[in-house]
Amino acid sequence: MSAYKSHPEVADRPTFLNRACDRTRPGLLASVLAWILLIAGLAVEPPSFGSTPTTPLSFERDIRPILKAHCFHCHGEGEKLKGGVDLRLRRFMLTNSESGSVLVPGNSAESLLLGMVASGKMPKGEKKLSSAETAKIQSWIDSGAPTLRPEPDKVARFFITEEERNFWSFQPIRRPQPPTSIPPSIGSNPIDHFLWEPLHQRGLGFANPAARGTLIRRVTFDLTGLAPTAEEVDAFVNDASSEAYNRLIERLLASPRYGEKWARHWLDVAGYADSNGGVSADSERPWAWRYRDYVIRSLNADKPWDQFITEQLAGDELVNPPLGDLQGDDLDKLIATGFLRLAPDPTGDEPADPDLAKNQVIADTVQIVATSLLGVTLQCAQCHDHRYDPIPQTDYYRLRAFFEPAFDWKHWKNPNARLISLMSAEDRHHASCLEHAAQAIDGDANRLQDDLIEEFVQKQLELVPAAMRGQVIAARKTPADKRTEEHKRLLGEFPTFQDQIILGEINAPGAKRVEEVRKRAAEIRAMKPIDPLVHCLAEEPGKAVETFLFHRGDHQQPAEKVAPGGLTVLQGLANDSALAPCSNSTRRTTGRRLQLAKILTDGSHPLVARVLVNRVWHHYFGTGIVPTLADFGMLGEKPSHPELLDWLASEFMSSGWSLKKLHRRILQSTTYRQSSVNTAAQAVDPDNRLLGRMRPRRLPSESIRDAMLAISHRMNTNMYGPSVPVAVSPQGQFVVGIQVRDKDGDPAGVDGIGGSEFRRSIYVRVRRSMPVGFMETFDSAGLSPNCEARAVSTVPAQALMFLNDHFVIERSTDLAERLRKEHSGDVRKQVDLLWKLLFSAPPSTEELQRSLVYLAEQNETLRAQAAVKTQEKPDLKAKPSAGEPDPSLQALASLCQVLWASNRFLYLD
Amino acid sequence: MNSRDKSSGLCSRRHFVQASAFGLGSMALTWLLQKDGLLAAPAMPDLKPRSFDMKPKPSHHEPRARAMISIFMVGGPSHIDLFDPKPLLKDYEGKKFPGELKFDNAGQASSKVLPGLWEFKKHGSSGIELSSLLPHLAKVVDDICVIRSMKTGVNNHHQSIYALQGGRISAGAPTMGSWLNFALGSQSQELPAFITLTHPEGGPELAERNWSNGWLPSLYQGVGVRPKEPRILNLDPPHYLKGSGQARQLELLRELNQEHLSQHPGELDLEARIASYELAARMQTAAKEAMDISGESEATRKLYGVDQEHTRDYATRCLIARRLVERGVRFVQIINNGQSWDQHSGLVKALPELCAKSDQPTAALVADLKARGLLDSTLVHWGGEMGRLPVIQNDLGREKIGRDHNTYGFTMWMAGGGIKGGMTFGETDEWGHHAVKDIVTHHDYHATILHLFGLDHSKVIYRRAGHELTLTDHKSARVVREIMS
Repeated sequence: MSAYKSHPEVADRPTFLNRACDRTRPGLLASVLAWILLIAGLAVEPPSFGSTPTTPLSFERDIRPILKAHCFHCHGEGEKLKGGVDLRLRRFMLTNSESGSVLVPGNSAESLLLGMVASGKMPKGEKKLSSAETAKIQSWIDSGAPTLRPEPDKVARFFITEEERNFWSFQPIRRPQPPTSIPPSIGSNPIDHFLWEPLHQRGLGFANPAARGTLIRRVTFDLTGLAPTAEEVDAFVNDASSEAYNRLIERLLASPRYGEKWARHWLDVAGYADSNGGVSADSERPWAWRYRDYVIRSLNADKPWDQFITEQLAGDELVNPPLGDLQGDDLDKLIATGFLRLAPDPTGDEPADPDLAKNQVIADTVQIVATSLLGVTLQCAQCHDHRYDPIPQTDYYRLRAFFEPAFDWKHWKNPNARLISLMSAEDRHHASCLEHAAQAIDGDANRLQDDLIEEFVQKQLELVPAAMRGQVIAARKTPADKRTEEHKRLLGEFPTFQDQIILGEINAPGAKRVEEVRKRAAEIRAMKPIDPLVHCLAEEPGKAVETFLFHRGDHQQPAEKVAPGGLTVLQGLANDSALAPCSNSTRRTTGRRLQLAKILTDGSHPLVARVLVNRVWHHYFGTGIVPTLADFGMLGEKPSHPELLDWLASEFMSSGWSLKKLHRRILQSTTYRQSSVNTAAQAVDPDNRLLGRMRPRRLPSESIRDAMLAISHRMNTNMYGPSVPVAVSPQGQFVVGIQVRDKDGDPAGVDGIGGSEFRRSIYVRVRRSMPVGFMETFDSAGLSPNCEARAVSTVPAQALMFLNDHFVIERSTDLAERLRKEHSGDVRKQVDLLWKLLFSAPPSTEELQRSLVYLAEQNETLRAQAAVKTQEKPDLKAKPSAGEPDPSLQALASLCQVLWASNRFLYLD
Repeated sequence: MNSRDKSSGLCSRRHFVQASAFGLGSMALTWLLQKDGLLAAPAMPDLKPRSFDMKPKPSHHEPRARAMISIFMVGGPSHIDLFDPKPLLKDYEGKKFPGELKFDNAGQASSKVLPGLWEFKKHGSSGIELSSLLPHLAKVVDDICVIRSMKTGVNNHHQSIYALQGGRISAGAPTMGSWLNFALGSQSQELPAFITLTHPEGGPELAERNWSNGWLPSLYQGVGVRPKEPRILNLDPPHYLKGSGQARQLELLRELNQEHLSQHPGELDLEARIASYELAARMQTAAKEAMDISGESEATRKLYGVDQEHTRDYATRCLIARRLVERGVRFVQIINNGQSWDQHSGLVKALPELCAKSDQPTAALVADLKARGLLDSTLVHWGGEMGRLPVIQNDLGREKIGRDHNTYGFTMWMAGGGIKGGMTFGETDEWGHHAVKDIVTHHDYHATILHLFGLDHSKVIYRRAGHELTLTDHKSARVVREIMS
């Protein structure tokens, strides 16, 4: 264990998104091992990869992974075999290299393999083998360099070993039996049985059940992203029925707010944005919201996830043209394919290298699919065989081939050219008639303007000596840059004719008349029916686009042709053998994506369900059973409770891929309902990998903002529709609202939108270049191209936000007004309600007393300040009007603000 | 996200907060008192962190540097065109490079030798050669040490950035500013101890991972400062709460948070958030003043280039960096957008433009620090995560040519804080490809910097889940004493 002591990356390594592939992660394998050894000490499922000291070393299990990570690039899997040395099989090493014997079994001193790595001559470059790895190679050679089994006679350049095939995440999902002999006090939920056993082995148990107020706050935020109301808290706390908690869960799952909370989680991984990104233009994607609404609707309806996934990958294959006439569920299927249009896409914004940009859009889409559904870092195989996972470069292009006909990069359509109109023929006709009428009026306006100007010119000409009039007119009509010296002299003399005449400057009433005519045209245009568009992916008929493996990932270097297919390592597991041509005869499309959807959702795919349930788990417990949510490969972390993961995945699928059923299972568990304090468990397991307690989790940015809106009685609960705009505030921050501009078109302020600015955060526009300050500060999703897992930061900017930000101050005032309205004149009751609203619990006696003292003192301070102000401005000495600040309201608001800023509000206990 | 070491931290922190229940003024006083007390406390032999806080902590030996300004030029500035003259390349111009090359972008690669495109001349009394793209740096060349033998050996941006920022070539490790503050605490009660000044055209490659606390407690996270005014948002309290009103709020907030923490012992995130409010409160008055360069003299503004459009941004940020260091900030990072020094193509136009924007402000920073007597204790660093290859990439005419990555030999320079000026150190081969003499790896670089701060790199240890973690990752790391004055 000491050999691995210095690798911290894994245990706390956030899941990062690297657009470029992070090719080498030194020591990461070792650190995975180190971490696993550590966890093994905690009596969680012992690791199945890596050998325990008692097992004899073998090539396949112990040596090959080291050589694959460090050496295969030049010695086996690369295009050229450097120095004639091939390290892929033991028997290859027995043939002599150019400089001597690579491997002499039983004699490490004679073996070049050891000499090269031990001396640091190999591998070239900075990254050397660790001493532990070198030691392993040495003892393997000295023990006779054994293999586990006879090596194959023939191998392809890239081949997958039995050990790699046996890697945990590539195994079929089984349905493990929950441990038996669990004490009855643990209850009957299998989740608890899986978790209790490893705790018990360490002499630990679950924490006590959380207090009822804590529990309702936890589950309400977790399911709806909002705080429970004071009435809901009271009702639950006072409901002694054994069914109270189940009823609570059902009520929350049935709330439309549920879909708004959980859609956000999926939109993170899908990389949802309302703008195209990629270049600084970051043009808007005005119709992306339909996909966002589709996700919310689907989750609220508990659409089975096999269907949900299928629609997103291939909804266009499930409906019949004409697409513009689709309605209801069929229309939703088309909208679902918006999933495949979420990658940054600057191809309509004149990117420097258009082909490169197109290729990147497809690459990002493949990455989104792979990270969201497969949980593998497939993007690492875009340029070369995967360094750590058994994923050859061809696998990357096999997956890409499913999407190739729909994207068809040689006949690319820019974002605006792909929108599908849902306008009816009738509306279309109506719109065109109105446009004609408007244009006619525009013509009238132009004529009137010309006439009025001409009238003015003629009048002015009268002031010019008659003999010169002709010349002046000629000079006026000559464009400024072509005027002769004579022209210029003349116009200098009669400057009225120098420039383009602006009607407004010479005839204000006339200009007004023209404006009025134009206004009529605008009014008519405003009556035109809006053309409803869908931002989606629809494969066009008859596209037989071929996919080529790109040499080193360079789209200008196509190499061999590649057919669609799943991961090679899963062959024979996931049902991808039946890749028969599956074109849709009605639409004459290839049907490839539908085929992919079938492979992923037919219940035999080992990754999809595991990846999904693991994400759900992560949202409840702050860490996944596999902490690296989007990497279930060799460099990812191993599951802390592999059997539980499989049980959940299998339960999820056998319950009809119902997310709500999965929620119920988890929420009803003792594990979820326990308190956050368990001193014994914390001492042994400070990372809480054994889940002997709940851990305080900071609210996500959306929940913070939404809860503040709801509690302050400001929230606008309207659902769906175009995104709420974002503007830049005078303080330089991006905020929700309409941009007010000055006469030069520069931002000059922000206006409200009639209450729409108080809609839930999921409806706020995601403009990549204009992240809303409040949300960004609290770690909203980064999009490059998607967000596999959010960071959780603690920085002074967050503190400053709660101390001074307009949004916080305004919501505090709103809340103070609400408290006063509900308990007019009774400060105690106001404080009591405040506590219940924010913390789902009344204040303790001390807390109440402390708050009252605070209010009295703050009141005093603010009143004194206000008095000074009034004295400074004696003219305002008259009685305060309604618009003037009220110190006692400000004092109460300042208390609300403190509570909002507190950890008790910001964290779920 | 958090560490396991929770021993006595809680206790001392609570004591600290209780002692300062009279508001901001007394809080600062308490801090100062504690600072003195703490410095008098017996040194912990291995700097084992007993509590995670920002209080000043003793170093292992007398420090040479008290602060560092790192001008981190992401992308890989071409050492061959700026710092490392290679006359041999001229003889081979356009001919095939005779050795082996490692390309990042093989698709556009060529092996045609490309000599430095700008003339090199000797400067200063030291006679260090610099290219004509750096006329201002030439004026302070006797104050800088040009290290021509940098090497990370990992040929991609991400890994090499990680290597130089955090000592490991993978994601997730703490960056240098976080380590320094973990080891030494903060010298400022009013400003974050680790600040990154970002570029107006966007964040750098790898974004905030360039100032991440990694797995150190989030207390040590760097603070990214906006590139435009207001550089820090929300510094102004509402007028009616300014002063005693807000002080009262903060007092109540501390009490509530302490009570909450006492119910969740050992949750370092909760603890870090309490500290962040304390810092934020003090920043309100201090940060704006620190970022405001309007009070700087005309001569100073001119020296940095605040008066010229093309240098204004870098000049302003360099000037702010000096002001921050003057006010006790430990580590200031000035960082560029994207990987803007990554000239795979268009080198001929892009490199002079980049230099024109940054050369004068950078040189002015060194000169200004020196004139104010700050250079002795302020370490200045300039460099990126790689250099470039001595051959043409994208061979489509002079306008379009560029150079591919080279992490096997490249240049950076350092000045002040105990660094010897007017010297070059190390060499690349005659092609400028591989560092061959006095190689300085990222581990050596880190060990040297920690040494200048009075720290032994192998003894700045963060204990976590049974592991002893260091910036240099228990790799061989040499303190490069040759470059110290």
